[in-house]
Amino acid sequence: MTFSERMLKIDRRIIFLVIGLCTLLPLLYPVGLPIKISPEVRAVYDHIESLPEGAVFLLSLDFDPASKPELQPQSIALLRHAFRKHLRVIGMTLWVSGTGLADQIMTQVAKEARKESGNDYVFLGWSPGGTAVIINMGQDLYGAFPADYNGKPTKGQPVLSGVTNLRDVTYAVSLGAGNPGVEAWYVFGKDKYKFELGGGCTGVMAPGLYPLLRSGQINGLIGGLRGAAEYESLIGQKGKAVAGMDAQSATHLAIIVLVVMCNLFYLSLRKTARQQGQMGA
Amino acid sequence: MIFLRRQMPLLITLITGLVFAGQYYVPHPASEQMLTSVTKWLQIIGGFALILGVSSLFHVHAVKIRRKEAGWGYSLVLYASMVATIVVGLWANGKEAVDGTMTAFGWMYNYMMVPLQGTMFAILAFFIASAAYRSFRARSREAAVLLVAAIIVMMGRVPLGEYLIPLSGDVSQWILNVLNASVRRAILIGVSLGTVALSFKIIFGVERSYLGGGKE
Amino acid sequence: MPEIRRHSGAVVVGVLLCCCGLSGLSSSVSAQQPLAPPQDFRVLDTPSDGGGSLTLIWPPAPYDSKDVRYQVLLSDGTNTPDPSTFKVVTEFPSDSKYVRESKWPWWSRPAGPEQHQYTLKNGKGVELKDGAAYLVALAVVSGDRRAFTSAIQATPAPNWMNWNQINNLFLALLFGAIVFYAISVAKKRDIFLRRIPGLDAVDEAIGRSTELGKPILYLTGAHDMSDPSTIAAAVILGRVAKRAAGYETDLLVPHRDPITMAVCQEITKQAYLEAGKPDLFKDDANFFITTDQFSYTAAVDGIMLRKKPAANFFMGAYFAESLLLTETGASTGAIQIAGTDSDHQLPFFVTTCDYTLIGEELYAASAYLSREPIQVGTLRGQDIGKALILGVLAVGTVLATAGAVLDTQWPQLFLDVFKDVK
Repeated sequence: MTFSERMLKIDRRIIFLVIGLCTLLPLLYPVGLPIKISPEVRAVYDHIESLPEGAVFLLSLDFDPASKPELQPQSIALLRHAFRKHLRVIGMTLWVSGTGLADQIMTQVAKEARKESGNDYVFLGWSPGGTAVIINMGQDLYGAFPADYNGKPTKGQPVLSGVTNLRDVTYAVSLGAGNPGVEAWYVFGKDKYKFELGGGCTGVMAPGLYPLLRSGQINGLIGGLRGAAEYESLIGQKGKAVAGMDAQSATHLAIIVLVVMCNLFYLSLRKTARQQGQMGA
Repeated sequence: MIFLRRQMPLLITLITGLVFAGQYYVPHPASEQMLTSVTKWLQIIGGFALILGVSSLFHVHAVKIRRKEAGWGYSLVLYASMVATIVVGLWANGKEAVDGTMTAFGWMYNYMMVPLQGTMFAILAFFIASAAYRSFRARSREAAVLLVAAIIVMMGRVPLGEYLIPLSGDVSQWILNVLNASVRRAILIGVSLGTVALSFKIIFGVERSYLGGGKE
Repeated sequence: MPEIRRHSGAVVVGVLLCCCGLSGLSSSVSAQQPLAPPQDFRVLDTPSDGGGSLTLIWPPAPYDSKDVRYQVLLSDGTNTPDPSTFKVVTEFPSDSKYVRESKWPWWSRPAGPEQHQYTLKNGKGVELKDGAAYLVALAVVSGDRRAFTSAIQATPAPNWMNWNQINNLFLALLFGAIVFYAISVAKKRDIFLRRIPGLDAVDEAIGRSTELGKPILYLTGAHDMSDPSTIAAAVILGRVAKRAAGYETDLLVPHRDPITMAVCQEITKQAYLEAGKPDLFKDDANFFITTDQFSYTAAVDGIMLRKKPAANFFMGAYFAESLLLTETGASTGAIQIAGTDSDHQLPFFVTTCDYTLIGEELYAASAYLSREPIQVGTLRGQDIGKALILGVLAVGTVLATAGAVLDTQWPQLFLDVFKDVK
């Protein structure tokens, strides 16, 4: 077997090891390269920045622990920004397995910002039905969520004063890892109840949401860990996303090098085979 | 019995399908109220569907354990985990934390479910690399174009790539906003037409495979 | 003579002074002329809405500019109709708020595009109850001058039809009619479907499994039976099961949804019957694992590593688990064929599988295999729909460009038909 053939058939555990090292080492020894802000992330930031104090901001954390590495930094950055702008924050989730995680995120960031549940923010929790929940909230928020996640009745909470349904929400952002997610919030939410909508998603899903972004159905998009890192840079509070960008940079470069190498070996094999074919002829 | 299994579901599908297709064009508050009521029913049915899913699991694995079929040990582990999670969850009233203190349910969620789900998703990073190494080969002109585009986007989406090749960021943005968006739109149009066509067939009873059972 | 020159000079100056004085007088007179309120001011219940809204229409005026402002005045029907006592609801420059800026399509517009239009909605300081009469007036404000129109009475009410969306209804019904027509044509004669490349590989994959004496693994995706991709996957399973029965090869079909499992069980049983091997049919060939995404993936990965199937079929809708499944399958050396309409997972299937049916090729494959008139006719109907959309895109692009270049409004007549307005 030639060297090229051996390299093309390399044990994939060696590739796993390379990727593992490229992820681990930058986390231990960060470099801190500058991050360029994309227009779609800036659009979400600018919109929240333009909201007046007391505006109603709905954040739907539609993901489960599997997508935590990408979407938790996005949620934390958005919540920090919203609390800094003294917006009234309504948190919720459409994914049952993500309820605990969503509650932890909201509690942690609220504590950090010294915000009080009931007065400054409310976490509604999860309700069965997926898109049916969005429609119900559009008609009557208190009907969809009679009590918040802690069991306190939603009616009468100061943070929800003047809010009867989704039409009273100034800006909503859905951080979605699948279905129901950003598309469901547009089709059953914004399209019917006319609030402004932004989106966040995992890196894999981001290309699929560009048609919604380009047509103005969502006003901005935070895509993957990179989007979270951009948002952290915009709010001036760097966190796990920025820390993860060095690892992501190294991993991307490793994959590019591996792909280029594999193509060099492949082309060399093809050339050899062609030459042998010509000689045989 | 046939009426209950076949005709009645078809009748319900026809009536509700037509009514709620029409509801979209009626702005009157009565129509909105009807939609709200039905979505509440959907939420209740969704809750019951969860019970169905769990009871199916119980039944299937109980049979496996009873018959000691191949892999029945895994079924036993599944049974034990399900029962433990349900008991602990009910005991903690479904809460992961009470007054800042983590409950047993919270412990299971944070130290078992979160790491397990995270692990499965994290494996993707390694698999992407090995799949890319194995299959990203310039076997043809089209494959070569795909390869170049993939490299540009991979470079443009990370700070290191933009640092080494500053233009890669703008080019990858253009690829995502123009080329990618237009192709996604085309696929979306095709799939949406398929969904609309299927919806028409289901409403009018032409497509019945969702009811289960064999052909008539 | 010098006296005449002196006199004529004085007369000229005097005339000039008089002219200046007169012009000053006339401008001060015109500045003092009263502002004329808009004629033909109308107030009507906003059409095609759910109630709680009134629409004001009035023609443009010569004085429309940034310096002149309009005020909208509202009162409930019980007050005297003196607009100066009404509540000012809003105020805006007189060179704004035109019908052409609103989203109304041309067939439901209440007035011409050059007319002014303002919609009073319930909420945020304005209370409009359905069925209650209100008095509305308009005031024109310029400096310290103010002029009122007469108060017009109007009653907001909800409507039963949203005429703005009649185009949507028309296009939906048209597409439905095309699909049913295509199905009726398919029932009477054969419709040509091009050969799908991945389908040749299905027989090859089943043959390979038989040679190696290993089972076939078939997955139907993450969605339930109401999804077109799952229905297509179930139809293709029938074909695969028939071949597997013929070659006496084991078939493993793990499921994520109990109803899909029940349907596929019937399909598999029928396939074994048609192949003439009913005794080889196993009830537990189709089995339910779990609905949870990664638990199912872990279970299937375990099956692949233990049973080492020679052929893996991934048909239906998939999410993040796609690469986990296909990469594990590739590591066991199996031949892999995928078919999905989940565009976000296509890159992973294309790189790890030997053949991939992309998007509607999956629906076409099921129609091609089953040759059922309903499936084939639906596919033809969708193709006609896509051809129509392509035509509209081409014509619309040309018209929109012409409208922008020539600065005319008539292309909007065509473009509005395909606009989505609520």
